[in-house]
Amino acid sequence: MSWLIDVLIRGVAFGTPLLWGALGEIYAERAGIVNLGVEGMMILGAFFAFAVAQVSGHPVLGLAVAAVIGGSAALLHAFVSVTLRANQFVSGLALSMLGLGLAGLLGRGWEGSPLRTPLPELSVLPPLGALLAIVLWILLYHTRWGIILRTTGESPAAADAMGVNVSLVRYLAVIFGGMLAGVAGGFLSVAYRPSWTEGMTGGIGWIVVALAIFASWDPLRAVGAALLFGTLFHLSFRLQAWIPPEPLQMMPFAFTILVLAVTARWGARKWQAPEALGLPYLRGER
Amino acid sequence: MRWKVSRWLTAVVVIAVVLAFIPTGNAQQKLKVGFIYVGPIGDYGWTNAHDVARRMVEQQLPVETLYVESVPEGKVEPFIDRLVGQGAKVIFTTSFGFMDGTVAAAQRYPNVVFAHASGFKRARNLATYMADFYQVYYLNGLMAGALTKTNKVGYVGAFPIPEVKRHLDAYALGVRYVNPQATINVRWLQDWFSPPKAKEATQALIADGVDVFAFTEDSPTVIQESAKKNLLSFAHYSPMYKFAPKQVVSGELVHWETIYLDFLRKVLAGKYTADNLQDVDYWWLLAEKAVEVGAEPGMMINPLFVSRLKSTTVKTVEFGTLSVYDLVQRRIAQMSKNPVVFDPFAGPIQDRKGVVRVPAGHTMTVGELTSMEWAAPGVTGPWPGEP
Repeated sequence: MSWLIDVLIRGVAFGTPLLWGALGEIYAERAGIVNLGVEGMMILGAFFAFAVAQVSGHPVLGLAVAAVIGGSAALLHAFVSVTLRANQFVSGLALSMLGLGLAGLLGRGWEGSPLRTPLPELSVLPPLGALLAIVLWILLYHTRWGIILRTTGESPAAADAMGVNVSLVRYLAVIFGGMLAGVAGGFLSVAYRPSWTEGMTGGIGWIVVALAIFASWDPLRAVGAALLFGTLFHLSFRLQAWIPPEPLQMMPFAFTILVLAVTARWGARKWQAPEALGLPYLRGER
Repeated sequence: MRWKVSRWLTAVVVIAVVLAFIPTGNAQQKLKVGFIYVGPIGDYGWTNAHDVARRMVEQQLPVETLYVESVPEGKVEPFIDRLVGQGAKVIFTTSFGFMDGTVAAAQRYPNVVFAHASGFKRARNLATYMADFYQVYYLNGLMAGALTKTNKVGYVGAFPIPEVKRHLDAYALGVRYVNPQATINVRWLQDWFSPPKAKEATQALIADGVDVFAFTEDSPTVIQESAKKNLLSFAHYSPMYKFAPKQVVSGELVHWETIYLDFLRKVLAGKYTADNLQDVDYWWLLAEKAVEVGAEPGMMINPLFVSRLKSTTVKTVEFGTLSVYDLVQRRIAQMSKNPVVFDPFAGPIQDRKGVVRVPAGHTMTVGELTSMEWAAPGVTGPWPGEP
C-alpha cells in the first residue's frame, strides 16, 4: 500500500509540469491554435524563474516572471499564426527551437549553482494545478466565455457572426497557454530540480502536446492523464529490473496515438479535436 | 501591412547575415585551434568540462580557439569543414560518436592536426586522448562501502556501454573491498543528460533502500534529489559540492586542460605534426593529474566525513588492518606513481556470475578496459549486454 502511495506521489510530482503545460495547450487548441512551441516556452520559463528566484530569493516571484515570459513567447506565436495566418505547426516548431536556443544563450554562466531558496516540490503548484483544472473546466463548459472559446475553435465563422472578435479570443487563449507553459517550466527549475541547466526540460514539452490530445481537450481529464503519464514515467525506473524502460516511456505517445485513432473512428463529436484546429481564419473565406 | 512586415523581416535577416560574415579583424597570426562539442557548453558535465579546459588553454598558450557546440554525433564532418575554413590548424573532436567522421576528415585535410577523445582509431594526423575515471570511481567505492548503513549503494548510469560499465564495476569493486555484504543497485537512463530521468531513477533507488549514490549523468540532479532525504552522494565530472555540502562525500573531477596543454605545447614546439600522430594516444589518469578525487578542486574528501572514514577499519593483505581513510590515501599514492603500483582491475577478478574475467597475475589492458561488458560481484539490477 505504501508502495502505491509512494509511486502516486512521484506521479504527482512529475505530472505537475505536465498538467500546467497541458491546461494551457488545451485552451489554446480550444480556440483553434495549435502551439507546438510548448518546449520552448517551458525552457524560457524555467530559465527566467530560476534567474529571478536566485537573484531575488523569491521563487514565487520567479514563477510569476516565468508566466510573463511564457506569455510573451506565445504572443509571438499568436502574431505569426493569427495575424500573419502562417502555418501554425511550423511556427510552433520554430518557437520551440528559438526558446531552447535563447534560454541556452541567456543561461550561460547560470549553470552550476543550486537555487538558494527552492520551493518544496509538492507544496503550491500541484494542488493549485488541480484547482485550476476545475476552474478551467467550469469556465469552458458552463459559462458564456467557454461557449465563445469553443465556438472560436469549432467554427470561427459562426463566432464571427455572433459578434465575437475571433483574433482577440485566439490571441488571449494562446497567451494564456504560454503563461501556463512558463509556470510549468518554472516549476522544473525552482521546485522539481532547483537549479538551471541548459536543455533541462528534456522533452517534457512534447509530452504536454500529446497529453492535451490524450485528454481530448478536457481540463478535468487532463488531471487524470497527467497523473497517469507522471506515474508511468516514474515506473519506467522503478520497474527497470523487470521491464525495460523504453516501452513505459513510450507509453504516453502510444496512448495518444491510440486515443486519436479510436476517437477518430468511433468517438462522439465532443471527444474529437476542435473543428477549426490548425486552420487560420480569414473573414469571408469558405 | 503584411508586405511591410515581411520586407522588414527580410531586411533584418540580410543585415544579420552580412554582419555574420564580416571578419572580426585580428591581424595577429596565432595558431587556430578548433573544438567540436557534442553537447551545449552549459551542460555542467562533459562538454562544460572541455570548454573550461579550452578557456584555460587560450589563457595559457599563444593560440586562438574556436568552438562549435551541440553537434549531433555522426554529423561532425560539415563542422570540421567549417572550422578548417575558418583557419583551424588543430581540431579536437570531443565525443566517441565523432570517430568515423573525424577519420574521414583527417584523410581529407592531411595538413590539419586532429585529436579525437575517447576513440580508438588513429592516423598519421589523428591522435586519440581520454581522461578516464575508473581509478577515481574505485576510490569513491571504498568510501561508499564504509559509509552505507543499509548495505545498499546506488548507481544511476547513463548508457550500458563499456565506458560506464567500467566505471560502475570499478566503483562496485571498491565498495565490496570494504563491505563484502553491500549490493550496488543500478538504474539506467539511456541518456547522457536528462534531469527528469535522473530524478526518477534516484527516487526508484531510494525506494530500494539505497543510502549512498554515485552516477554518470551530466547534471547534479542525483545529488540534489538524494540530499533531500539526507542521503550521501559522490559528485560526477564537475564541481558539485555546493549542491549538497552536507551530503556530498567526494567525487570525480576532470582536468582536460592537462591533456590539451601538453598536446598543444608539443604542436607549438613542432614535436607533433600532421605526420607523426599514428601512435599518439593519451590515456591519462590520476598519475598524469588528468583526473582528481573530490567534489571540489583541492578538497579530496568532505571534512564532515573524515572522522567516519577514519573510524571504519578494513583488513588488507598489503597494509594489515587500517582505516578506510588511510586506505584511500595509500591507494591514491600508489596510483599517482607512473607506472602505477596498484590497479583496481588487477586479477583475480570474477564477474557477478562467477566467471573469471581477469586471471590472477593479469591486469586489464587499455584495450580490455575500453571493451569490457561484464558486471562485477554485488551489482544488482538490469545489465544489458551482459556476457
